[in-house]
Amino acid sequence: MDEKIAALREALYALDDAAAVSTTAELIDGGAEPQRVLQEGLAEAMLEIGRRWNAGDVFLPEVVAAAEIFKHCNDIVEPALIAAGGRTTGRKVVMATVKGDLHDLGKSMVGAMMKTAGFEVHDLGKDVPTDRVVEAVREMQPKIVALSSLLTTTVPEQRGVIEALEEAGLRRTVKVMVGGAPVTEEWASEIGADGFAPNAPEAVKVALALTADEPEGGA
Amino acid sequence: MTSSQAGATREPFEPPRVLGLPLTNRIDVLPEHAIGRIHEGTLRVLDRVGIEIHSDRLITTLERAGARADHEAARVRFPREVVEAALARVPSTLLLAARDPACDLMLDGSHAYLAVDGNAAEILDLETNERRASTKADLAQIARVADALPQIGFLWQPVAARDQLTDVQPLHEIATEFANSSKHIQLMTATKPEQARGAVEIARLVAGGERELHERPVLSAFQCSLSPLTYDGEPLEAAVVYGEAGVPCGFVAMTIACATAPATPAAALVVSNAEVLAGIVSLQLLVPGARTFYGACGTVMDLRTGAAACGGPEDLLFQMASAQLARRYGMPSSIGTFATGAKSADWQAGVENGLSGMASWLGGADMLCGAGLLYGASVHSIAELVLDAELFDLVCHLAGGVPVTDEDLALEVIEEVGPGGHFLAQPHTLRNMRRMWQPHVFGRDTWENWVAAGRPEPRDRARDRARQILAEHEPIPLDSGVEEGIGGVIAAYADNEAEGAHHG
Repeated sequence: MDEKIAALREALYALDDAAAVSTTAELIDGGAEPQRVLQEGLAEAMLEIGRRWNAGDVFLPEVVAAAEIFKHCNDIVEPALIAAGGRTTGRKVVMATVKGDLHDLGKSMVGAMMKTAGFEVHDLGKDVPTDRVVEAVREMQPKIVALSSLLTTTVPEQRGVIEALEEAGLRRTVKVMVGGAPVTEEWASEIGADGFAPNAPEAVKVALALTADEPEGGA
Repeated sequence: MTSSQAGATREPFEPPRVLGLPLTNRIDVLPEHAIGRIHEGTLRVLDRVGIEIHSDRLITTLERAGARADHEAARVRFPREVVEAALARVPSTLLLAARDPACDLMLDGSHAYLAVDGNAAEILDLETNERRASTKADLAQIARVADALPQIGFLWQPVAARDQLTDVQPLHEIATEFANSSKHIQLMTATKPEQARGAVEIARLVAGGERELHERPVLSAFQCSLSPLTYDGEPLEAAVVYGEAGVPCGFVAMTIACATAPATPAAALVVSNAEVLAGIVSLQLLVPGARTFYGACGTVMDLRTGAAACGGPEDLLFQMASAQLARRYGMPSSIGTFATGAKSADWQAGVENGLSGMASWLGGADMLCGAGLLYGASVHSIAELVLDAELFDLVCHLAGGVPVTDEDLALEVIEEVGPGGHFLAQPHTLRNMRRMWQPHVFGRDTWENWVAAGRPEPRDRARDRARQILAEHEPIPLDSGVEEGIGGVIAAYADNEAEGAHHG
């Protein structure tokens, strides 16, 4: 089984979607522990890809491709994991592009890079209403909620989400990160966000710093 | 998502040792009637005005070969038919061989190559960033950086080895370059026949013998005219030494419009063209069929200071027109490129050299000479060398054009992703993204990181890159015994010179 988990990691490095998905299915169908498949297979492969990105050996599109494969595989692992009562990989991040904004490419990059640092990423998508973000924070209890907007006209929605989290009494349970082309450090502090990053790799650093005092794997 | 070329486990990309600039989009800056007038004007100048040559022995030889001589005025005039017959003998392609055959350059009109420019008397110290007199050690450093940069195809002598005896200085210079680079060396400083003989001896040691040097000339050279319309005797005699040894020897005019050439570009081109053709025709009359090339580094005079301006739009016109003239005469061209007048690797240097690289590419120059100089070719900067290499890299990418194979058009990929999706993780993206140009010294980092790093300019990153190359790059060593042999040649020529000076 160790060999098969190693093969799963290799399939991710090779960005071979079909091989990764079939190997994952074989592992789960063959009775492998879902927790091990997730932790030692998928999550470890993403961490390694992150290390290779840091070394300059892989580019961002490759990280995004790996993250997509990760998702396809995780769709197989997750039901088994829940059935087995196991816990997920670790520090949860909820991401969303705010209401009125249809741009989610930057958010996808951030999500992919976050996975390379061991974060468990829940992407709510684009044009997400504020109350849905609040609901997700309430349900999933993430360590971080990350809000993206590309337009100067939708950036104010980030402030709206923070205010809604305060009203719902959830603001102190979660760190808020904001990003997107018009977003600056100044804007982030003005609206009371906890972190800002100008691009995906920086977002990972900020997220790691924001969760530094949190025990890894403790969701 | 399966793809044999995509994947996060790929071997790192190995660049070629020498990068050629594909000459894909030539523009004739001179329309047919214009180049015709410049050509006819040149023939008229060569026939009626002629060239002054400071060597009666050469004048006599040229007279016997068909030129008209005026010994008293040291003037040689070339009739049209003599010029045309001589030009017809020039080989149309040229091999610039290298110690490492992977660095051989074939000049056949398909690709252009970039040289390290020369011959500055001062260098901007890599560490102190102060201007000072250049030394042999500087030359060794620059040669090593040039050896490592794939954008550099061959080497002039970027700085003078001013800490060596003047008469054997050119021999020290090529010895240093051969030891620190396995690329082709083009010698610009050996202007005396004795120096040329020493250089040929050294090149034979490097090539492995007399015949080997003939077959694989690891050395080439050129001589400069004295504008307007004059040649010293010794450079022409040196050219004969090279010609007989099979070492390609070109002729380069460095005219300054308003000063050593007329003010108008057309007239400056006639003077420059007449000088280059006079050199080439003389060499063909003295050594029929000798390997040679057409060189031009024209500029204008700065109207306020009287100095060579270097880098303005007239230079760009001279570059393109001179390359076109060489093409008309069916021989490779060596064209002054990246010759900014700026004093530091700044906006002016970037703009002037960026446009200059474009002009030489569009003009169809075969040799771009060259990278690394500031202040009108008088101060060398290793940072500028790295920056010019980056510019050349950009132009090479541009020259690649827009390929339109099925893989390039990727209509299926467009259909699959459809509206609103993204192409980030498409196998097609992963397969092709490494064909995109990657900067080495241009800044693409975030504003925040840039501020945190102390707001570095491209020249700062270029200095870092040069330091890294100097720390890591090991050139291919010379074959055993060759270095000692070269030392012996230099010592012998140094003794000869000392003796000559003693008796003379």
